[in-house]
Amino acid sequence: MGADVAVFSQSKNRLEEFESTAIPHLPDLYRTAKFLVRDSAEAEDLVQETFLEGWRSFHRFQPVSNCRAWLFTILFHRIHHLRRRQLKTPRTESFEHPAETDSLAAAPPLPQEIRDEDILAALDNLPPEFREVVIMADVQEFSYKETAEALKIPLGTVMSRLSRARKLLRRELTAVARGYGIGPGESKSGEGRAR
Amino acid sequence: MNVLNFDSKLCERTRRQLDAYLSNELLVETTSEVVRHLESCKGCAEELESRMRVRAALRRAALRQLPPPHLAPSIHQRLRRAQPALWLRLRSTTWAWGLAAALALVAVGAAGQRLLALRHSRQMVRNILALGVEDHIDCALRGHNYPDVARSQDELRRRLGPECAGLLPVVEEELPGFQVLEAHICSLPDDPRKYVHFIARGEGVILSVILTRRDGESLPAGRLLAADASAKLYEAHLSDMDVAGFESRNYFGFVVSALGQDRVLQIARNLAPPVRSMLDQSSSATAAPHNVSNLSAEASRL
Repeated sequence: MGADVAVFSQSKNRLEEFESTAIPHLPDLYRTAKFLVRDSAEAEDLVQETFLEGWRSFHRFQPVSNCRAWLFTILFHRIHHLRRRQLKTPRTESFEHPAETDSLAAAPPLPQEIRDEDILAALDNLPPEFREVVIMADVQEFSYKETAEALKIPLGTVMSRLSRARKLLRRELTAVARGYGIGPGESKSGEGRAR
Repeated sequence: MNVLNFDSKLCERTRRQLDAYLSNELLVETTSEVVRHLESCKGCAEELESRMRVRAALRRAALRQLPPPHLAPSIHQRLRRAQPALWLRLRSTTWAWGLAAALALVAVGAAGQRLLALRHSRQMVRNILALGVEDHIDCALRGHNYPDVARSQDELRRRLGPECAGLLPVVEEELPGFQVLEAHICSLPDDPRKYVHFIARGEGVILSVILTRRDGESLPAGRLLAADASAKLYEAHLSDMDVAGFESRNYFGFVVSALGQDRVLQIARNLAPPVRSMLDQSSSATAAPHNVSNLSAEASRL
């Protein structure tokens, strides 16, 4: 019985260690899941499952490795699994190799103040493959390498998707600016106009 | 028509690098070149500023999205609830007697208590079935402890050891359409429990047949608990896996896969009687050739 108590006490300590290491990343995991599945309840389920799976495989986690990146890898595994199951994944090969180059022509004007609802709506309009890359790189500030590992895609794909995603975001925001009546002439700094 | 009065090639090159610059992914030398150009080119500097604004706005808006306040406590609770499974795995006679006594008390209680007992028993079924699911996920799926090409019969028998090798033809015969790739005795980290584990491939999935000693635990009886009361089969959907379980005199048996509950139950329905019969015969025969009554000893040898 003494040995049993020792085993239980050990596992309890491990759980506390896991919680203190992993739970601080809950907000980042939740908002990522929410932006990707667009449904609060589903995002909550995904995050809960991520922590449970993390706890189950915590014995393999190396203390020197990056817990945050590890948890995101689990989360994306679950998100991709969910997408495959729902068979909702739209194919976006046409976006993978953007033909357009970084033009020197006048960049369209952005609204002077970018409102939260506008940028989040623009994010929501991105294809899921682009949305996940831009969230990882620009919101969660993971490196290209960490993003590639979590999403299980090549580094070059991360770079091309991120570049395309940022362009699409600006395009969406430009449409918003036009809605506000901001044209190239009204742009505050005249930004993007070629001279 | 726009007229460019600057070094357009340098601008083009810089703008190609702006995304990586923004993500701090450029080499030090390249960063210096980009910075030098930005200092002297208003157009590119404004382009960068515009991209930075979008990135900053996105991050700011996203970080304002907070998880609901109930989520963290709910996760703590679920993690804590995962603990009893560990308790169930402990080989504690005292604890097992305590549980039996507690269940007996609940069973003789009032209707409300009976409902409570039923819920408890359901949880117990799930906890026991979770043993098989955990081993399937840990050993077969995450650990990928099986070869792409099935091991030879001799090798499978060798890995099972003389005590368990006799189970191999039984399992193979009752898994038509599946190929047994691997068979071994394994355990989960920090857990003394041993599992006889057959890993098979078929119907587009990996399927595990897992046996482990009951150690005083039992699947609670009752029509409301069993998926197939006559065949004494239990089922659950845990961690995205479908599991069907049965017990023999000394062992729990599990069939685990992502095939769907009906199919997994159907496989278990065919597999359970011969496996049960073999396990019971072996454990009652003192010198049976395929005695699987001492898996711990066999496992420690392996």
